[in-house]
Amino acid sequence: MTGTRMPCPSFGELADYWTSDITTADAEQIEAHVFDCERCARMLAEADRLRAGISDLARSGNIQAFVTDDVLNRLARDGVRVRYYALNPGESVRCAVWSDDDVLVTRLRGNFAGVESVDAEMRLESGEEWAHTKDIPLPDGATELVMALPAALVRTAPTIPMRLTLRASDTSRRERILAEYVFNHEGALERG
Amino acid sequence: MMSTCEDGVVARAVAAHDADEATAAETELYRRFAPRVRLFGLKHLADRSSADDLAQQVMLVVITRLRAGEVREPDQIGSFVLGTSRMMVAGQRRGERRRTAITARVEVYEEAVQPASDLALDGMRIAPCLEGLRERERTILLLTYYADKSAPEIAAAIGMTAVAVRVGRHRALASMRECIETRRAS
Repeated sequence: MTGTRMPCPSFGELADYWTSDITTADAEQIEAHVFDCERCARMLAEADRLRAGISDLARSGNIQAFVTDDVLNRLARDGVRVRYYALNPGESVRCAVWSDDDVLVTRLRGNFAGVESVDAEMRLESGEEWAHTKDIPLPDGATELVMALPAALVRTAPTIPMRLTLRASDTSRRERILAEYVFNHEGALERG
Repeated sequence: MMSTCEDGVVARAVAAHDADEATAAETELYRRFAPRVRLFGLKHLADRSSADDLAQQVMLVVITRLRAGEVREPDQIGSFVLGTSRMMVAGQRRGERRRTAITARVEVYEEAVQPASDLALDGMRIAPCLEGLRERERTILLLTYYADKSAPEIAAAIGMTAVAVRVGRHRALASMRECIETRRAS
């Protein structure tokens, strides 16, 4: 007897199979479909390679993102070598990247009350833009943003002061500067 | 050409009296289903090597039973392979894991499965595509697939609803897939 075959799930629905969100019933439904559909089996394998690739990138310290403590905890469990900085608004810090660092994490403290997302902009002393990021999400009542950069990227940064500006990215508050921080970058340093 | 046949045709051919046809069919059946069993193993077992072992063990059982004429509905071979996978995983969970002797034949079958170098190549394409995502989507993917967090947990961490996290994840995956395909083609 042949039952009615469920329609092919979308790539996103198949990728949900690899998350902790999926229910047992939904996982079993995907399994039944995939064992009967070679095309969806290939897509499920593709989703697996994607999630494994993202994990491998993070594990190798190749993270350029605003993250949460959950990611930092996982990096610690994976033995990734992280150098930490923490700045309050208006503060500057002498910073450098050492030869055995994998990731640089900066806790950008501030008052983000009432702000749903922020834009970040890093400029060199000359005013030239070095990097910018839009629409960084943060929960209500957040008092810090956690910025992670690959050590390999920071090693290529110029050894001059750099200014990081955070602005509220809500349309109504586009021009509102939330905080500024200065990184006096001293370059890539060797141990010993 | 065995590769263009329906699964049921391939399954029936495994039990064929013609030795050459049976061998070609076994290899084709392995090529089609071992990767699916491996994916099932990745979901339900601890690591990739356990999933690899499961794929080999399940496919040996399936082929042995097909040869012995013990599969009543070869046209439903997918269901049979899935059922066998579920039984073997349940057996392992009950602590009854037995190491089946892996025959040299498995090495022949394995040649039909995607080489590992393709996977590494995908990894190289993933980095720039991840970098190209919106910040919000990149954070969602990192929290989902690296930190193993659920949508409600991510929602609480970044100030979104769980539904918005799921929608953002699907959108991010679609963008990543399109980006990787574009890079693969170029």
